[in-house]
Amino acid sequence: MKSIVNPDMRRKTVMFWQLVIIKVKFNLRSEAAQSYLSYAWWLLEPLMQMGVYLIVFDILLHRGTEDFVAFLLCGIIPWLWFSKSVNQSGNSITRGKGLISQTYLPKPFFPLVVIGQALIKQAFVFVLLFVFLFIYDYFPTIGWFWLIPIVITQLLLIIAVSFVVAFIVPFARDIQYLIDAGLKMVMFGSGIFYSYKSVFLPQHREYFLMNPIANLIVNYRRVLMEDVPPLTGHLVVISLVSIFVILLMTRVMKRHNNTLTLLAIE
Amino acid sequence: MSDPLISLKDVGFTYRTLTGLMKSDKYEALKSINLDILPGETLGIIGSNGSGKSTLLKILARIFSPDEGEISFNAKKISLLSLALGFDPRLSGTDNAILSSMLLGATLKEAKKIVPDIIEFSELGEFANHPVRTYSSGMRSRLGFSVALRMHADVLLIDEALAVGDASFKAKSERAIVEKVSSSQTVVLVSHSAVQVNRLCDRALWIDKGEIVLTGDTDMVTRKYAEAYK
Repeated sequence: MKSIVNPDMRRKTVMFWQLVIIKVKFNLRSEAAQSYLSYAWWLLEPLMQMGVYLIVFDILLHRGTEDFVAFLLCGIIPWLWFSKSVNQSGNSITRGKGLISQTYLPKPFFPLVVIGQALIKQAFVFVLLFVFLFIYDYFPTIGWFWLIPIVITQLLLIIAVSFVVAFIVPFARDIQYLIDAGLKMVMFGSGIFYSYKSVFLPQHREYFLMNPIANLIVNYRRVLMEDVPPLTGHLVVISLVSIFVILLMTRVMKRHNNTLTLLAIE
Repeated sequence: MSDPLISLKDVGFTYRTLTGLMKSDKYEALKSINLDILPGETLGIIGSNGSGKSTLLKILARIFSPDEGEISFNAKKISLLSLALGFDPRLSGTDNAILSSMLLGATLKEAKKIVPDIIEFSELGEFANHPVRTYSSGMRSRLGFSVALRMHADVLLIDEALAVGDASFKAKSERAIVEKVSSSQTVVLVSHSAVQVNRLCDRALWIDKGEIVLTGDTDMVTRKYAEAYK
């Protein structure tokens, strides 16, 4: 292993991240140019999605205790962030065909751009969440700073899962359909619409929390609604496993770069 | 003699295409290629369709890495001249020029500095601020071409069809290429036309069925190539 960082390496790294950032920026700009309401959709789209769940669960099904709306939002908002990023990362490499056939770019570039776009939009959605919580009488406390490690953990998890699907889908595009179905399954298994404490026996809760999405949602609710610290040990484990997967997949994508290029160009 | 900018040693490349689950087709496109790209030279790679010349250019552009042998790069910026690299039709000409030059190896700072020059060369005028989807195909290729030419790449890779845009821009771009070629710019040109290679290059490499047939002085190589395909 070479331990010296030569200037050429540094230039390449800087250029890679600059390119990711500028591509995210331009993609968002280009997306906004497509519609009449342009950037307003960053808020309108999540509002509409949240609206659908609220109508179904709060009004039609009368699931609601007073705090059910807040409970639901704390689950659905992180979930939508995860599912959108992962879903769109699936065919990110095949969609990058034009670039892949004409220039050299490390393959993680493609899922990273998808993740970056989703991240920027998500920042606004979180602000929306805070406004809703405020309306439902949950006021910010000093404990809300715990959101920072939770959000970082979720971001690492998103990158890890996105890298895996971005690598696999070019080999068999059929897998994209399985991702859609898989995400639906995870959605219902992650306690978005129910509290795990009311569904699982105490001795089974541990298994439920092994689902990282479920775990993160529990932590969002602890911090935002219950005003207690998150399960930090769990967050550390999720982060470390995610980092390991990210590093592993970066190597795997590098090793199979030719194969991915050919699969994307075909 | 100075060090080569790109050096290939016994490079081989095989296309493997998946034809089904666990099944794949193999096609050996390049076999033990030895080649040094020297600073300042204009190298013409000549060969018929399917000879492997485009694959070789893709290896030089790092789009593929060799399966066998070794390739070493001493050049920082190697650009494949392509029209409309990474263009997004909904973005303005200026935005696309920034993106495109960064994809060709510029940093953000370098890209921003060079963009006014690119826009001027492309003769787009105020259209530079309009979305590229409103451009005619001539305008689009003019922009793409300008980005590639105004970027100061260490090695410029060019795949045949050089003609773009209307007649006057075509003349201008050919002049620009000739200018690049005769300057200290290192150029690798891939073509199936002996005439084109003869006109522009100072060294030629003839490739057939993935192997180098002949390499050396342009006159000699293109004459033998023309005789072989008579």
